[in-house]
Amino acid sequence: MATSRTKRTRWATALGATMALALGACGGDDGGPSGGGTDEPIVVGISLPLTGDFSEPGKGVQRGYEAWAKITNDKGGLLGRKVELKILDDQSNADRVVSDYEQLIGQDQVDIVVGPFSTRLVVPAARVAEEYGMLFVEPAGAAEEVFQQGFKNLFYAAPAVANDHYNHLAEYLLALPADQRPKTAAYAAMDDPFAQGTAYGLKEKLEAGGVRTVVDEVYPPNTTDFSSIAAKIAASKADIVVGGSQYQDGVNLIVALQQLNYQPKLAAFSTAPTNPEFAAAIGNKTEGILAPTGYTQDAKYPSNVEFVEKYTAQFGSPPEEDEANAYTTGQVVAAAITAVGCAEQGECQKKLIDWVRSNTVETVVGPLSWDETGKPKGAHMIQQWVKGEIQIVLPEDAKEADFVYPKPAW
Amino acid sequence: MPSGALLFQSVILGLLLGGLYALLAAGLTLYFGIMRVVMIAHSAFLILAAYLAWWSHSRLGIDPLLSLLVTVPLFFACGVLLQRLLLARLRPATMTMMSVLLTFAIAVCVEGLLGYVFTGTQRRIQLGYGSASFEVLGARVAVVKLIAFGLAAVSLLALYLLMKRTTFGWALRATIQHRDAARLVGIDTDRVAGFGFGLGLATAAVGGTALSLDTTIYPSLHWHWIGPLMAIIVVGGLGSVPGAAAAAMVLGLLQSLLQIPLGTTWAQTVFYIALFATLAFRPQGFFGGRLAQRF
Repeated sequence: MATSRTKRTRWATALGATMALALGACGGDDGGPSGGGTDEPIVVGISLPLTGDFSEPGKGVQRGYEAWAKITNDKGGLLGRKVELKILDDQSNADRVVSDYEQLIGQDQVDIVVGPFSTRLVVPAARVAEEYGMLFVEPAGAAEEVFQQGFKNLFYAAPAVANDHYNHLAEYLLALPADQRPKTAAYAAMDDPFAQGTAYGLKEKLEAGGVRTVVDEVYPPNTTDFSSIAAKIAASKADIVVGGSQYQDGVNLIVALQQLNYQPKLAAFSTAPTNPEFAAAIGNKTEGILAPTGYTQDAKYPSNVEFVEKYTAQFGSPPEEDEANAYTTGQVVAAAITAVGCAEQGECQKKLIDWVRSNTVETVVGPLSWDETGKPKGAHMIQQWVKGEIQIVLPEDAKEADFVYPKPAW
Repeated sequence: MPSGALLFQSVILGLLLGGLYALLAAGLTLYFGIMRVVMIAHSAFLILAAYLAWWSHSRLGIDPLLSLLVTVPLFFACGVLLQRLLLARLRPATMTMMSVLLTFAIAVCVEGLLGYVFTGTQRRIQLGYGSASFEVLGARVAVVKLIAFGLAAVSLLALYLLMKRTTFGWALRATIQHRDAARLVGIDTDRVAGFGFGLGLATAAVGGTALSLDTTIYPSLHWHWIGPLMAIIVVGGLGSVPGAAAAAMVLGLLQSLLQIPLGTTWAQTVFYIALFATLAFRPQGFFGGRLAQRF
């Protein structure tokens, strides 16, 4: 009995291995047959966190992709073919992401894959895409580590990576005359590659420029009580405070700082201040708070005007950054497909990758181009709460209002 | 070296935090005292109460404190039903062990329901006085934290008076101290245990409302609370309400002070170190008697 079961298992393993080899071989020299029928839709495979920890932003990214597919199809599709999305739910789980992309590429034979949401999930997904030689444009992997993996196929479809978000602000502060320049800075960042990247990018530049770091705190993502961190920052009397935050932690930290009556000359927080609910969440005491932003609905790029209008018609409310990043991803892929003239697995993918690497694409977040590692060559705009409204203050050529420094009391 | 002002500020914050811990731990230790039940779901109900406070404020526009009028009786009834319908059915011999499993299941159910109804998004009550504060000897005291502390203090005092001054309290303490003897003198221990359980869950209602005033809530937040609370009741002496309160104040204060040199992540370990130390050197707890013989 025992021997026969062992035998059977071995037999099955051998069969499985043979099939895998056969399938692999098919994938390798394919290209021709599956891309032949020009009436077939271009299937775009995506795995997104539609449930679990990242379900909220995950659904935002999904809406962005859906808007892109609809707007593209309404104009007749790409290369005369309709675009069809195939979205799997990874449940915010890095293990699921790998099997999802393997299924999409290997079994479902999708023509194109694009990225999932959250830095944590981008790296394993990109690795699968690279094994199959697929182009991998992604809307969410903004952390430095994504670009240190040596990916040859990955492109981040946003203006800048996390560490470069505050570049305009760093330049501005360091260009101030010595007596106005801030002397000390306090940093608090969530233990998360994206959130930390934003704060540490600015920290590195300011430290190099002679601004002393007096507080440097890292807190776990689940922290709900910020009073102790706030107490340290308030006690340090730092000239400026920088928060590497997502949303709720940023709100909590600001409220805790206000409870301690800490009045810095500058307060910069990533992500949180651009959220539509931010002002109400901190009781409208927003005066002077800064945030880097990769996307605003007001940007005048032609495709953005179209995107905001059609997105609003489709979903009933204007798009946010997650939606815009997904849409941008679609735009980059569409530009490559149109220019190269193909969309299928195999040889075509190499051409698509080469095209994206050496060209600039006009998107809803402006023109994008990438370096060798797939990192976009840009910086984020800086927005500030001025008179109860969040407005672009940096860089100079895009500003809607003047930068207020030092900021008024909150 | 931290400045005196920062130390003083941290002491204030630690005391305010400790008050909340004290209230929450009081309920938890009560269950154990009454029936030797380890109530893993206590903090899940805490979060449920916080959600109800948040919901009544954001949807109905009611001040979160007013939601107590509904949640406290509701949770009391829930607690009585929970004890009578579920926990009382467990075999006394395996009560402690099986109650962990049962209440774990209840915790997961509550978490799942919260996630289903309110989604996993983090929520925070947006109060007009959310960032208001006043100065005490150079330190700032936030109004919402003081309200939370006040709620905890009043409820603990009420609980104390109830247990010391009323016939029900005597019956409850008798049940905690010696169930069989209590039955011999004519106390209906099953009924008393049910009400005692309800009382424990009512503290979760007050605690949750206090919690919701000044922190973010999300469905899985209760896992974050149950560990420290369990540690507190062991350090305080299982079943002893004053012991739990004292341990909560000390550990809350320590956590707040340790955040200065260690940071948020490592300061949390104070609870577990205290737990290990207690189990190793003084298993009966530092403040109460063994299984609350003394109250």
